[in-house]
Amino acid sequence: MDLAYLLILDAAALIVATLVLSYFFFRDLLRKKQ
Amino acid sequence: MLELSIFDYGIIVAYLGLLFTIGYFVKGKVHNLTDYFLAGRRITLPIFVVTLVSTWYGGLLGVGELSFNYGIVNWVTQDLFWYISYLFFAFFLASKIHKSRLYTIPDQLERFYDKKSRFVGAIFNFIMVTPAPYILSMGLIFSILFGWEPWIGVVFGTLVIVFYTIRGGFIADIYTDFLQFFLMMFGVALVIPFAFLTYGGFDFLTNNLPATHFTFTGTWTTQMILVWGFIAFWTLVDPGFYQRCYAAKDSKIPKKGILISVGFWMLFDICTTFTGMYARAASNAGLLNVESATTSYISIADAVLPPVLIGIFLTGVIATIMSTADSFTFLGAMNLSHDIYKKTFRPKASEKKEMLATKIGILITAGFATILALFFESIVAMWYTIGTVGISALLVPVLAGFFYKGRKSPLAALLSMILGSFVSIVWFIHGYMNLDEWGWPQYICGIEPMYPGLIVSFIVFVTVTFIHVRRMK
Repeated sequence: MDLAYLLILDAAALIVATLVLSYFFFRDLLRKKQ
Repeated sequence: MLELSIFDYGIIVAYLGLLFTIGYFVKGKVHNLTDYFLAGRRITLPIFVVTLVSTWYGGLLGVGELSFNYGIVNWVTQDLFWYISYLFFAFFLASKIHKSRLYTIPDQLERFYDKKSRFVGAIFNFIMVTPAPYILSMGLIFSILFGWEPWIGVVFGTLVIVFYTIRGGFIADIYTDFLQFFLMMFGVALVIPFAFLTYGGFDFLTNNLPATHFTFTGTWTTQMILVWGFIAFWTLVDPGFYQRCYAAKDSKIPKKGILISVGFWMLFDICTTFTGMYARAASNAGLLNVESATTSYISIADAVLPPVLIGIFLTGVIATIMSTADSFTFLGAMNLSHDIYKKTFRPKASEKKEMLATKIGILITAGFATILALFFESIVAMWYTIGTVGISALLVPVLAGFFYKGRKSPLAALLSMILGSFVSIVWFIHGYMNLDEWGWPQYICGIEPMYPGLIVSFIVFVTVTFIHVRRMK
């Protein structure tokens, strides 16, 4: 297997983790407003 | 100047517009000094991670340069040692800092020792957080993007930061950090798959890079690696880490938050290291025109990313620099207003006056950094090393304050800070008076100024504590 796929996996994991954290960030901000 | 599409410029302008909008609306959320300094000590786990990850990472172009020139050893010196330092901070310091319910590192010094230690500590703290290198980088990026003179970029970027930081303090910092965090992560992650599609897989790297780019030591000696690696001690006295621990909602958040942040940094660092290596391999293969190692990261992104995505990437680069510059500006202002104005000269100053002093402090910190960036560029290049002088002053007394259970000597703290930093400064000046043929400082035995300073600071602290505490009895 081309090791570069692991790099792409790493980049994809970074994007997914960013989206997940963004969800929780906004959830906390909205809760604060309420 | 880069050739960008109207959409790319649109993304960059929209980002800057959002920063202004945040600055405009955030003022209504600040009700008292704790809101302004620490967002009311109410930051939750996701907010903690977002603000720590984005603030901590400011040197994307520098990391690109090291990966371009040396390969994976960049990851060892700039990342691996730092992870160890973060973990130490998370497990042994984070909760202690939060529970102290203070505002700054000099606050800790006064708690452990006395007012004089706070004052001296505040000066070193201020040096560590002076945002001059980041403000200069902002100027350079704006000049690459818009074809401006660098000074225009420096002044424009500083005005944007000052506007929202003055209005919203740490709350504005949090909101802008989110925007910057999102752009940083996406911008950096996007380059890897497109570099793969443009140039090929791992074989492309191995065929076009020296073998030393793939080893953990590269062309570096063990001493060089250790000398660079242990600069990661910076974390243990980093004002940004402390500020976020104080601001956390409960005592478990700092530890958990740092551990999650380490996960983000790991994913992020692999992307930056290999992007730098892709740039070098493409340059070696004659497929990429790289003007300098410093801007190699931008060159490869420009070559592989399609319109719109290059706009996101470049906005991510600006965001990476701005998120550090704004936090440092605010931390410097807190040093001036809280540690020096309020605690040293005007103990009875009201919250309102302290907040006003902080706003003036933002102007002073940003003004000082701008002057350095505009007129003393050569000093700014050295600023990272100058910052490490702050570590040799603060590390021993701060860690001893947390971990040494015996009776503490204020005199030991004061002398260890002054003599430790003095030795570092002398070492630093000696190095810069003996430049090598490439213009780099030649330090005695090749050792960075921080280390002799730390050793002297430790010896002085232990000796004076031993003698002084016996006399105090």
